[in-house]
Amino acid sequence: MSEKSKHDKNQTIEEKLIEDLKSKLGTTVNYQKERRLWMTIDPDLIVETCTKAYELGFEHLSTISVTDWLKEGKHEVTYHLWSYTHNHLLTIKTKIDRKSPKISSINSIWGGNAETCERECHELFGVKFEGNPNLTPLFLEDWDGPPPFLKDFNWREFVKKEMYDQNNPREKVYFEVKK
Amino acid sequence: MTKTNENEVNSDFTMNFGPAHPGSGNFAIKVEMRGERVLKATADPGYLHRGFEKLMEYREPMQNSVMSDRVCVLEPLQWNLVHAEAVDYLMGYEIPERAKYIRVILAELSRIQSHFIWYAVLSLGTGFMTGFNISIGYRDYILDVLNLITGGRVYPAGYICPGGVRKDFPENAENKILELLPKIDYMRKFALKENPAWLARFKDVGVLTKEEAIKFGATGPVLRGSGVAADVRRDDPYEIYDELEFNIPVLDKGDAYSRFKVGMLEIEESMKIITQAIDRLPKGEVRTPNLKPIVKFQKAEGEIYIRNELSRGEGAFYMVATGQKTPYRVKIRGPSFTHMIPIVEHLLTDVDYADVPAIYWSLYQCPADVDR
Repeated sequence: MSEKSKHDKNQTIEEKLIEDLKSKLGTTVNYQKERRLWMTIDPDLIVETCTKAYELGFEHLSTISVTDWLKEGKHEVTYHLWSYTHNHLLTIKTKIDRKSPKISSINSIWGGNAETCERECHELFGVKFEGNPNLTPLFLEDWDGPPPFLKDFNWREFVKKEMYDQNNPREKVYFEVKK
Repeated sequence: MTKTNENEVNSDFTMNFGPAHPGSGNFAIKVEMRGERVLKATADPGYLHRGFEKLMEYREPMQNSVMSDRVCVLEPLQWNLVHAEAVDYLMGYEIPERAKYIRVILAELSRIQSHFIWYAVLSLGTGFMTGFNISIGYRDYILDVLNLITGGRVYPAGYICPGGVRKDFPENAENKILELLPKIDYMRKFALKENPAWLARFKDVGVLTKEEAIKFGATGPVLRGSGVAADVRRDDPYEIYDELEFNIPVLDKGDAYSRFKVGMLEIEESMKIITQAIDRLPKGEVRTPNLKPIVKFQKAEGEIYIRNELSRGEGAFYMVATGQKTPYRVKIRGPSFTHMIPIVEHLLTDVDYADVPAIYWSLYQCPADVDR
């Protein structure tokens, strides 16, 4: 098969997959680049959509991440799913309120893997995953400050205030204003 | 270190495996014991948490490139590559052909030296010190070549950077790499010898079925040891992997020995890749021409999820750019994150304590990429 016809064949497979996903998931599926698809959904539909995606062959939960959109007042929770049958990555994005961030857990589908990813997001961003029985911190011991990965948490200021002493000659350099 | 468990009816006492145990790395597992039997294990990460994702939000891509080495001590060149690819996509860089080949050669050398460490720690964990010594010794030959090319034995300090690689191969580097291959081959054969003591420790221990492996998000040798033929280099090719010929070793037993054997068989495939890449290595630039040392990240807008096949499995960077000097959000997906928390907890249920090191190390863990 020549390079061009191979490319065309891949493209038709891709278009077919997008159509299939659109009809079965009931939302627009966008094409980003080769083997990268993404979609935006309502947070209430997360368990339902993930279950459907899993049944459609997106069986590997690569990771869950949170982006803090401070100006918008929203947290964006992103689920990256890979399919071993279609060889495509589907990114499911959903926005939740920043003030009371909560979303349903998807541990009914991916069990321990989803729970661990959610534990990380809970610890670093304070997102509450309802239905996850174990949201104990993974990394930070005895931390009672705000979730450290939030955009409005300035760790440089925090460290200066909590860890350094202005009167200590060795540490006062951290308090000098840069010109 | 040990304490009597009065509340738990089932277990006699809880004990820590790590973090100061010589065979655990900077990672701990709390095991609940009844006699010599492990009833339940709880992973306790966080001893290496440096917050790279947050640190990267404060730094420019070329600074992050240096920092991306440190995500995992044992495979820094491959982490360099994932980071560089994410920035390349967001900036729309066209990578010169020669740089792509150099990137692949170095990534594969890095994979081999990482697999040697794996064999070394498996030996260490099961009391086979000869294996440890010989493997670390052979790894050093590879480190010498990495030192020659990148300037750093272990950490290349961002050698694979956005836009290509920092410097071209020094004179005679290709020959030095080719001279390495017989040494690598000797070590590979040594590791694959069916040593009865080795088989007794690893066969039929810590069995992870195919369904469990997929459900728990296993990748890399752990997944392929359970019978799933998935490799990012083949399924989601990057750089020049789709032009190269190599096989994907798969074993379907799912025990510690299968996982280890898949890793050792991969070394041969990596050697094939290196030979092919050096054969075809084109001449030319190694970094996008006219690219200044600083990446003008203000031009980048959008997001990308880049996956690579690291030694341990799927490593990924999720990067969001909003037209600032620094990335708005970086999320790093380390392969050991799933192996070392859900999978290790699942496998260390109702096993003999003597099997703990064998199972633990057969998962090919790196605490640094769990914690990041």
